[in-house]
Amino acid sequence: MNILNEISLKLQQGNAKAVKELVQQAIDEGYAAEEILEQGLMAGIDVIGEKFKNNEIYVPEVLIAARAMNAGTVLLKPLLVSDNVQAKGKVVLGTVKGDLHDIGKNLVRMMMEGKGLEVIDLGIDVPVDKFIETAIQENAQIIACSALLTTTMNEMKLIVEAAQEAGIRDKVKIMIGGAPVTDQFRESIGADLYAPDAASAAEVAVQACAGMS
Amino acid sequence: MNRIERFYATIERKPVDRPASWLGLPLPEACERLFSYFKSSDINQLKQKLEDDIYPVEIPYESPHSNAIYTALNFAKHAGAPDQRTLTAPGFFEDYSDPGRIDDFDWPDPAKHIDPEKCRRAVGAVPAGYPIMGVLWSAHFQDACSAFGMETALVKMLTEPEMFRAVIERITEFYLDANDIFYSATKGKLDAILIGNDFGSQRGLMLSPDAIREFVIPGTRKFVEQAKSYGLKVVYHSCGSIYDVIPDLIAVGVDVVHPIQALAKDMEPERLKRDFGDQVSFCGGVDAQQLLIHGTPQQVKDSVRKLKRLFPTGLVFSPSHEAILPDVDPANIEAMFEAIKEPV
Repeated sequence: MNILNEISLKLQQGNAKAVKELVQQAIDEGYAAEEILEQGLMAGIDVIGEKFKNNEIYVPEVLIAARAMNAGTVLLKPLLVSDNVQAKGKVVLGTVKGDLHDIGKNLVRMMMEGKGLEVIDLGIDVPVDKFIETAIQENAQIIACSALLTTTMNEMKLIVEAAQEAGIRDKVKIMIGGAPVTDQFRESIGADLYAPDAASAAEVAVQACAGMS
Repeated sequence: MNRIERFYATIERKPVDRPASWLGLPLPEACERLFSYFKSSDINQLKQKLEDDIYPVEIPYESPHSNAIYTALNFAKHAGAPDQRTLTAPGFFEDYSDPGRIDDFDWPDPAKHIDPEKCRRAVGAVPAGYPIMGVLWSAHFQDACSAFGMETALVKMLTEPEMFRAVIERITEFYLDANDIFYSATKGKLDAILIGNDFGSQRGLMLSPDAIREFVIPGTRKFVEQAKSYGLKVVYHSCGSIYDVIPDLIAVGVDVVHPIQALAKDMEPERLKRDFGDQVSFCGGVDAQQLLIHGTPQQVKDSVRKLKRLFPTGLVFSPSHEAILPDVDPANIEAMFEAIKEPV
């Protein structure tokens, strides 16, 4: 088996130790960091995302795969920097003000990172201004916000309005998600992107960033 | 039928004059709106006006750290964690791998914090004529997540199953002891209990059915057996899509599955009725994610009527999330109860 396929497979199995060893071996054998990332690690997390979307695997399996991915990317990061490999886009992520439920948001982060996006995770209970300020400072292409509670969904509308007021509406796409959030709601508040699950969120974000570059 | 007859007939799937109802547990902010709309001064008046059928009583719990059973186990590793239950914040057992060190945590003794006399008083304060449902939660899985921090817990479940099992079993013991004090003190006065954990998301289970069977169901079975030994009906709660493990809940003796989160994947009432309607009853079903918030009273009535055709019995009508939030329009609660009371 090709070593990159093996990296992908071990990642899917959540075997962080094996992923780390194989990534180091691939580096030593002269594979380019970008090649290891895309054909090994990202290929593996793609399979995980698809299986998760189809309820073939569940949150624990995603978490151990993401940890295995991190074990590999730690080794690649300095090489990617020296090779001047750019992230596919930059996303500011968080749960909206008043919402402390973050397991879904964390899965989105893992899937986005697995797709080669740079994610600035602001955590939970994030005020509107913090999303906007960070997006401006970091020159992000996407603000991605989640809500589990129906009572906090309105914060998403405030983020759209604040982006408009800050004059960044044409530079930043606003993505929304979370249990009660729907595409109809997205449309009603004038947000740009909606995804029903973490893997789809990552796919939609990559497409959006590609369209903006 | 009186309330108690209606409650038992509904959950035993026998003919009813109308299905039983349960308002749920409105949050304080939601109570303000409801009291104002229905011109009620307290929850008793409100339930009387709505002709609600079930009276919930929380198990009285008082310790220096908590005044509620569902926050009795404070596993927060760092002071000031935003949520007392610290589902995702780092928990006490975050770095533990040795099940033998389970007692490093200062487990509270339920006997010191649950006063049998207060249990009797709480149940005795319920207005006459209501079936009484003890709200115990006994959320052993959620607490196990808090004990490590949710992500760490779910990873350990796969990578260090003995450590996860040691914690969830110790939590189960805590709740069994707590429940026993409550049951003994209120013997003959309770009709049902509400227990449960959230292991469903909008689109599926958070854990595989096998993991739920291995780690969650054993404790659930103990809670159900304990309640049954006191002659109590068991209402089991999990938010989200839990279709794949409903047979497991039925197998351990759960009487009522709560809350039918109707918009979650595979939780359509039609599907649940078709696949499980002759084996278990349900509570909930009136959508609280969209309908009760954004719908009109007419739409709420139409939805309740449709549900009644599907479940002439076997469903306790209730919002699909028991903790009614302040964005629920009281006019829709009124419409829900009016439609429930219409002749079958």
